[in-house]
Amino acid sequence: MYSCVKTLSLCGLNGREIRVEADMSEGLPVFDMVGYLGGEVKEARERVRTALKNSGITLPPKRITVNLSPADIKKSGTAYDLAVAVSLMELLGKIPPQSTDGMVVIGELGLSGNVLGVNGVLPMLIEAKNMGITSCMVPSDNIAEAKAVEGMSYVGISSINEARDFFESGLIYDRDEEITNPGESNGNTKREVDFSEINGQETAKRAMEIAAAGMHNILLIGPPGSGKTMLAKRLPTILPELDPDERMEVTKIYSVAGLLKDGQGLITSRPFVAPHHTISPAAMAGGGTVPRPGECSLAHRGVLFLDELPEFSGSSLEILRQPMEDKEVNIARAAGSYTYPADFLLCAAMNPCKCGYYPDRSRCRCSENDVQKYLGKISGPLLDRIDICVEASRLEYKDMKSSDNNERSSEIRKRVEKAVELQKKRFEGTGIRFNSEIGVKDIDRYCHLGRREEKLMRDAFENIGLSARAYHRMIRVARTIADLCGDDEIKCEHLSEAIGFRSIDRRYWNG
Amino acid sequence: MDKTRYITRFEDEFPDKLRFIPGCPAGIYVRGDLPDPEKKTVAIVGARACSEYGRKMASYFSSHLAAAGVQIVSGMARGIDGIAQRAALEAGGTTFGILGSGTDVIYPEQNREIYRMIEGHGGLISEHPDGTAPLGPHFASRNRIISGICDILLVIEARLKSGTSITVADALDQGREIYAVPGRLTDGLSAGCNKLISEGAGMALCPDDLLKALGLLCEEPLSTSTSGFTGTKHFDLSSKEKLVFDCLDLYPRSVDEIVRTCRLSVSEVMELVTSLCIKGAAKECARSNYIRET
Repeated sequence: MYSCVKTLSLCGLNGREIRVEADMSEGLPVFDMVGYLGGEVKEARERVRTALKNSGITLPPKRITVNLSPADIKKSGTAYDLAVAVSLMELLGKIPPQSTDGMVVIGELGLSGNVLGVNGVLPMLIEAKNMGITSCMVPSDNIAEAKAVEGMSYVGISSINEARDFFESGLIYDRDEEITNPGESNGNTKREVDFSEINGQETAKRAMEIAAAGMHNILLIGPPGSGKTMLAKRLPTILPELDPDERMEVTKIYSVAGLLKDGQGLITSRPFVAPHHTISPAAMAGGGTVPRPGECSLAHRGVLFLDELPEFSGSSLEILRQPMEDKEVNIARAAGSYTYPADFLLCAAMNPCKCGYYPDRSRCRCSENDVQKYLGKISGPLLDRIDICVEASRLEYKDMKSSDNNERSSEIRKRVEKAVELQKKRFEGTGIRFNSEIGVKDIDRYCHLGRREEKLMRDAFENIGLSARAYHRMIRVARTIADLCGDDEIKCEHLSEAIGFRSIDRRYWNG
Repeated sequence: MDKTRYITRFEDEFPDKLRFIPGCPAGIYVRGDLPDPEKKTVAIVGARACSEYGRKMASYFSSHLAAAGVQIVSGMARGIDGIAQRAALEAGGTTFGILGSGTDVIYPEQNREIYRMIEGHGGLISEHPDGTAPLGPHFASRNRIISGICDILLVIEARLKSGTSITVADALDQGREIYAVPGRLTDGLSAGCNKLISEGAGMALCPDDLLKALGLLCEEPLSTSTSGFTGTKHFDLSSKEKLVFDCLDLYPRSVDEIVRTCRLSVSEVMELVTSLCIKGAAKECARSNYIRET
């Protein structure tokens, strides 16, 4: 006697078909599982046997073999439990034969026979759909996530008995009413934040608008308590809305990482990830025997906020260089090589010096050397990837009182979206999406400077002592400022503003 | 530069002013010249972590005094000391560095250039032999030589408790005149100076005040103190640039403050301060903080 149930495993962000085969033959009573199983999959044997027993199905004293095929892929995770249980039920004739044809079964089992949610349902079902499979059985915890994959029929179950009921009579315990907005997230954004809650900080707000419009990485410098974190948290609210493809990408990552909350479907708002500065390189890039997405992938299509930038360990920051260049991160481990997308907007914050009050000399006692040393802690290559640098200034008393006439995030976002639209038109078919991605060789093509503008840049270089490394970054930022103004050509005023927001280099001011 | 000489207190060449101070060193190591006893000498001292105001004042006083033929003495430290000595050299004057290390040890590193420039325009003096490392206690004890060798001690910027107060105490013991540059009451870096003035030190409103005290100037100094200081340079500014320029000060002003004062938009102010920087009328002293250049 033989039965076969389809399920899926995860390989990075992609699903992979796995067939669970079960066979029962005469011989010494034994229940064996084979197929290159990881520790948690080996344990599935006990979970499945007990869960079946507690659901009223006792395994007969026969030789039962379960194989997870293809048998040369290392299996890990707990998502195979339900498929093993269903294949045994089919084998034992508890459900009609061939009832699982054209269906994938995913889920973890508890000892009582209950079915628990698993990670990575979304990418698994995307793969299932590509395979031509039209229906799926998933834990009811994951049903909202599953429904994000359109064009399938979904069976959400919460126990083995519900699964049996479905296969016997087609009965589905409908829990749809619990999902207010099927396929979409509900309550993903904890509490909506808005730029209108910030008083003052006009300069920093303007810089953030530019950063959002051209996806420029930004560095906020300011004394403690000036609201750097507050500003950064509101950056995602002025980025353009996620489009459907981007939502799918982001949700896939969160699904694999197991960070989707129960009953949560597609993620609709841009992620904001703020790792603590003690983060290890592996946590930043992703890691583990079977690599999990790291913080930089969790910030995909959103904002990666690094508070207290100089406190981060050098290796944790250096590791960001590849993702910032390639927009994805490659992790190679013994178990295989994984690629996770990591296209984020980097927002970093730091104090201007160790005590935090430079250049306010009545409070700051750091010598120029101390200031220099503090700044020198940041890796040069990372600074080279930051386009905009601005001060979050100390608040004055009148800024503390709330005010109603601050601009709302939605208004800023409208301007940002307009500028993004212009960029889309300009870069159509080139693979570039934002001004910050213009390569050095394309600068002349997209960022033409007139004679007056050339002269301004020359004067600026000679009189302010700009560094040549920053040149192209300033031009890109000027391009974004021009886009925000709706101008085709970069003008002097755009350049001047871009120079004012230019990134710091390692030589600090005054020197 | 010449080799280091050692001069004991019993030799004729040993500066007379130094010979009679309490705790006079047994001898000094000299590289280059010794201060000319015929000429007047002013010691300019102040905080190492100084403000932009201190910077400006140090070079303003030092360059004017040096140009008037006054020898400038200082401790060659970071901040006020180095700035004053550099300004004196750039004004074509002479300056003497009193060191807390051997005269061949360059410290701090950022003043390396001054060591080079000082050749032929002054000298280096230390009570420690060549090769002595710059150790903490040496600096406190060299202060008595700084104050001892000068006619007037000018304090540019100092906190209430600072190394400068040691120099001032020494100067009082030695009977030297003390002048201080006043600052704002709220400014911690000027608190030491303001206190000195309240206790009877001379108020240095302009270099002429010191020249008068030294007997190098007969007429009364102009009462408007910084008349010789602000507005010395003329910039060709547009009316909006002028508006922003007038907002700027020697104390750093953030773009946010300028936006509030001038009632212009952030992008306009950014644009205007950048063009002021290009024209040399302003300087960015920290990100988004600007000061006036004069």
